Amino acid sequence: MHMQELDISEDLWEKYESTESTGDAISRPSYTYFEESWRSLKKNKLAMIAIVIIVLMIGVAFFGPIFSPYKYDEQNLDYASLSYRMQTYHLKEDIYIHLANGLRIYQVSKDGEVESFVEPVETDMVKKTKTYQISGETFHIDFNKRPIQIINTQGIHLEEAGKVFNKTHLLGTDKLGRDMLVRLMYGARISFTVAIIATTVNVLIGVMYGGIAGYFGGWVDNLMTRTVDVISAVPMMLYIILLMVVIGPGLKTIIIAMGVVFWIGTARLVRGEILSLKSKEYVMAAKMIGVSDLNIIIRHLLPNAMGPIMVSLTFMIPEAIFTEAFLSFIGLGIPAPQASWGTLCESAVEGLQTYPYQLFFPAAAISITILAFNILGDGLRDALDPRLRN
Amino acid sequence: MKKYLLTRIVLMALTLWMVITITFVLMYAVPGGPFTKQKKIPPAIMEALNEKYHLDDPLHVQYIDYLKGVVKFDLGPSFKHKGQDVKDFIKNGFPVSAKLGLISISFSIIFGVCGGVIAAIKQGGWQDFSLLIMATLGVCIPGFVIATLLIYVFGLKLGWLPVYGIQSWKGFVLPVMALSGYTLSFITRLVRSSMLEVLQQEYIMTARAYGMSEIVVIFKHALRNAIIPVVSFVGPMISIVLAGSFVIERIFALPGMGRYFVESITNRDYTTIMGITIFDTVLLVLAVLLVDILYGWIDPRIKVHD
Repeated sequence: MHMQELDISEDLWEKYESTESTGDAISRPSYTYFEESWRSLKKNKLAMIAIVIIVLMIGVAFFGPIFSPYKYDEQNLDYASLSYRMQTYHLKEDIYIHLANGLRIYQVSKDGEVESFVEPVETDMVKKTKTYQISGETFHIDFNKRPIQIINTQGIHLEEAGKVFNKTHLLGTDKLGRDMLVRLMYGARISFTVAIIATTVNVLIGVMYGGIAGYFGGWVDNLMTRTVDVISAVPMMLYIILLMVVIGPGLKTIIIAMGVVFWIGTARLVRGEILSLKSKEYVMAAKMIGVSDLNIIIRHLLPNAMGPIMVSLTFMIPEAIFTEAFLSFIGLGIPAPQASWGTLCESAVEGLQTYPYQLFFPAAAISITILAFNILGDGLRDALDPRLRN
Repeated sequence: MKKYLLTRIVLMALTLWMVITITFVLMYAVPGGPFTKQKKIPPAIMEALNEKYHLDDPLHVQYIDYLKGVVKFDLGPSFKHKGQDVKDFIKNGFPVSAKLGLISISFSIIFGVCGGVIAAIKQGGWQDFSLLIMATLGVCIPGFVIATLLIYVFGLKLGWLPVYGIQSWKGFVLPVMALSGYTLSFITRLVRSSMLEVLQQEYIMTARAYGMSEIVVIFKHALRNAIIPVVSFVGPMISIVLAGSFVIERIFALPGMGRYFVESITNRDYTTIMGITIFDTVLLVLAVLLVDILYGWIDPRIKVHD
C-alpha cells in the first residue's frame, strides 16, 4: 500500500473553542420564587400605585396625629361643623367674616384662617336680626328670608369676598367641633389596627387548621373539613354581631369577633394547597430522613403554599376594614370619643343634608383603601402565578 | 339523589341545632339578666318578672323549652316591647325585607349578567372599560356610603325620589340601588371573565363556523355556560344582601326585619336579637340548600351522586 505523503501544515488547523462551559452557564442570575414574583409585580404599574397609597395611608395613620395641633377628642362647641370651604364677606380693611350654618359668625383672615367665634351683641327674634360688633364695626344679619342678608350700619350689603379653604381646620370640624383631619387620621389608625390584627389572627388559625387537616388526611381531615362545612353554612356576620352584643362593643371585641369567625376561607385554601403539595418528592425525601411532621409542615409545606396565602391575606384586610365599618354603622363599633372610619361615617349621616363633607372624607378614605388593597391583591395574584410570568 | 338530599338535610338540621345552641349559650352568657339595666326593681317584682318569663327555671329546662319553641316558630316574648312577641317583629318585618331583598337580587342578576356580557363582547372597548371601572368601584364602596350618596344626590339635591319610607314604588328605587351595589358589580365582573373564557372554547368557534348569527352564538351557546358561576354566587349573595339590609333599612327607615334587628341591638333586646338571628340563619341555610340542588340540575358537568 502506497502511502502518499500529505502536506499538513499547521495553519490548516484551527483551535477548537470549547463550548462546553457556555452550555451550562447561567444566562441570568437565578431568583427565588419571591424575588421573581416581586420583579413581575414591579412591572404592574397599578399595583405599585396601590402599594404607595397603602404605605402612605398607614404612615399617615400612625404618624399623622403626632404632627397635628389638635387631639382627636378635643371638643370646641364654638367651632362645631365648620366646613372645609368657607364663604367669606369683607367687613373692613383686613377683617373678613364667615357666616356658618346655624347663623354663626366667625372672624376669618383673608386666606382662610379662623380667628374667632363672634357672639352677637343683640338678637332680635321679632325682626329676625342679629347684631354683631367686630373691632368697632357693627353689622346685622337678617334671617327673615333666604338667602340670609348681611348688612352693615349704612344699610349696604357686605361684599362677598369669595370662598376660601379653611386653613385652621383643613377638613373642617365635626358636630362637636373636633378637627376632622385628626379624627380621620386617628380613625385610620383604629381601622388599620383592627384590620391587620384580625387578619393576622385569621391567617394563623386558618393556616394551622388547614395545614393539619391537609397534611394528616384520613379521618382527621374528614372530621375537620365537615366541621368547616357546617360552620360555613352559618351567616358569619350575624354571629359577629351576636358576639359583639355579648362581649360589648370596643376595639378588642371587634378583633376577637372577626378573628374567631373569618378563618374558614384561609383554612380551606391552605388545606387544598397542602393536599396537593404533600405528594411532592421533597416531602417524601424529608420523611425518609426522619423529619418530624411538624417540621415538614412548617419548614417545607407552608413556605411553598405562601403565595396563595399572601393573596388571600391582601383580600382579607379590606374585608376586615369593610366589616369594621359595617359594625360601627349599626352601632356596634368603637365607643366615642375614639373614632374609626365607620363611626365617622355613622355620625355624619344625621347631618348629611347640611354637612355632606363630614361623610365625604371618611367615605372616600374607606373606598380608596379598599380599592388599593383590591388592586394590590389582583396584582399579587397575577405576579405569584408562574403561568402568567414570562 | 335521594341519598344526597337526605345527607344534606341531616347536616342542615345538625347545623341549625348547633346554631341555636350557640346562640342560646351566648345570650345566656351576657352579664346580668335582661332587666338589670332598668331602674332598680323591687325583689318581689323581679321575682314575678323572672317567673313570667321562666327565667327562674333551671338552665336545661329553659334550653329545652326554647328548642321546643323554635320548632313551633315561637321565639318568645320581646323583653323591651311589652306585649309583643319576637314572632310579631318577624311577621311585620319579613315581607318588607323579603321584597327588598328579592328585588335587589333580581336586579343584580339581570343587570349584572347584561353588563358582564356587554363588557365581554366589547372587550377592550370603551363599554368594557367604563363597566369595569363601575364594577370595581361598586365592589370597593361600602353599601352605606352608596346609600348616603344616593340620598344626597337624588333625594336632597335633585329631589326626584323619596329618601325614606315605602309609600309608593319610588321608595324602593334608592334602597334597591344601594343594596345591589356590591352584588351587581361582583356579578358583572364574574360574568365578564367567565364569558371571555367561554367565548374562546371550541364549540363557540364551531357554532360560528356553522354560520349562526352572533346573537344566537352568544345568548344560546355562550351565555348558558357563562352564567353557571353566577348560580354558585347566589348563596353568598343572599347572605350579603341580608347583612346589607340591616344598614340600608336603617338609613332609609324601612319597616323591615333588619331595622328591628338593629334597633334590638341598640336596645339590648336579647330575645329579639336571638330570634331574628335564628330566623335569618334558617332562611339562609335553606336558601343555600336550594341553590346547591339547583346547581346540580343546571350544570350537567356536576352530577349529584347517589
